[in-house]
Amino acid sequence: MLQLIDELKTIPGVVGACIYGSDEGVLATNLPSIFRPQRLETVGKHLGKLYSAGQMSFDDLTDVSLHYDESVVVARELRKNQLIFAICDPTFNHNLLTMSFNLLQEELEQGRFAEAETPVAEAADGPGAAGALPCDQPAEELQELLGEMREKLGKVLGPMAGFIFDEAAEAWQKQGRCAISTIEALINLLNQEIADETKAETYRKLIAPALRAFQER
Amino acid sequence: MATAKEFVLRVSKIDGVAGCLLVRDDGVLLGQTLDDPEVFSSLVVLSGSLGQDIMARTGFSYCRHLSYLRRGKRHFYVFPIENYLLGVVQRSDSYVPDMLDAVYRLISRVSTRSSAVAAGGS
Repeated sequence: MLQLIDELKTIPGVVGACIYGSDEGVLATNLPSIFRPQRLETVGKHLGKLYSAGQMSFDDLTDVSLHYDESVVVARELRKNQLIFAICDPTFNHNLLTMSFNLLQEELEQGRFAEAETPVAEAADGPGAAGALPCDQPAEELQELLGEMREKLGKVLGPMAGFIFDEAAEAWQKQGRCAISTIEALINLLNQEIADETKAETYRKLIAPALRAFQER
Repeated sequence: MATAKEFVLRVSKIDGVAGCLLVRDDGVLLGQTLDDPEVFSSLVVLSGSLGQDIMARTGFSYCRHLSYLRRGKRHFYVFPIENYLLGVVQRSDSYVPDMLDAVYRLISRVSTRSSAVAAGGS
């Protein structure tokens, strides 16, 4: 899924994009970190409502776009309950983005992305093991990061953390491609398990250096 | 611009506009040149509200308009004008940039702080 939005980012004027599922939350994003995950969740939810309302009025609706002074947000339903939105400069090429959305939708419908996924790797042992994940990042590097995230979760949730992390990682795996760009989806799943805003914030602070280090590699 | 209805009529006369409606942000319809304004007025109010909220969440400064883009090219636009919302249906054969410019020009001439549109559909 990340590949999809990374390709969109190459379009002049496109700042980044996000795939949002109404059940899963943020599934993938390559937007700058200034767009914090909690905000993207709300934006995704609102765009979903706008899109649904639009569909009730127009049976041939394709995109919803919101034009602000400094940015334009363009949203498209990829498949049921799943939305992609791009944030762009006002000078972006709308036709090019529309065409890319069309291609992306077509590829999803034909299932090319599922085929492109790497085979499931063997699960590693020990506390650093995050289970078998079809990663498009080098498996070892990502598993190293996941191991660190797993360890930090222990500081917030105590002895059950390992078990909870493995379950969340498995659910994350089922959502699609596991990569750094979809890590927010895993964090969201963990936040649901933490079920405490302050603790979730603490956890985010604890893992921030590891995430940053991974992204800077 | 003396009344909401006059404003709506002027927007409707813009080249490329198939019809329009003006609603207050509480949903009260002030004027329209569309056959089925009830269908659109709820959408307009919801769009205005969610558009503003997205603006607040993302830190963007001002919502110029929202577009519902349709395969049949009869796109639908929502323009927030302070406490009012203007919904515009585009003709499928219109040149969008010119139409949008003309709508913006007209909106810029409306002062909602005065009694202009606030005259409330009189």
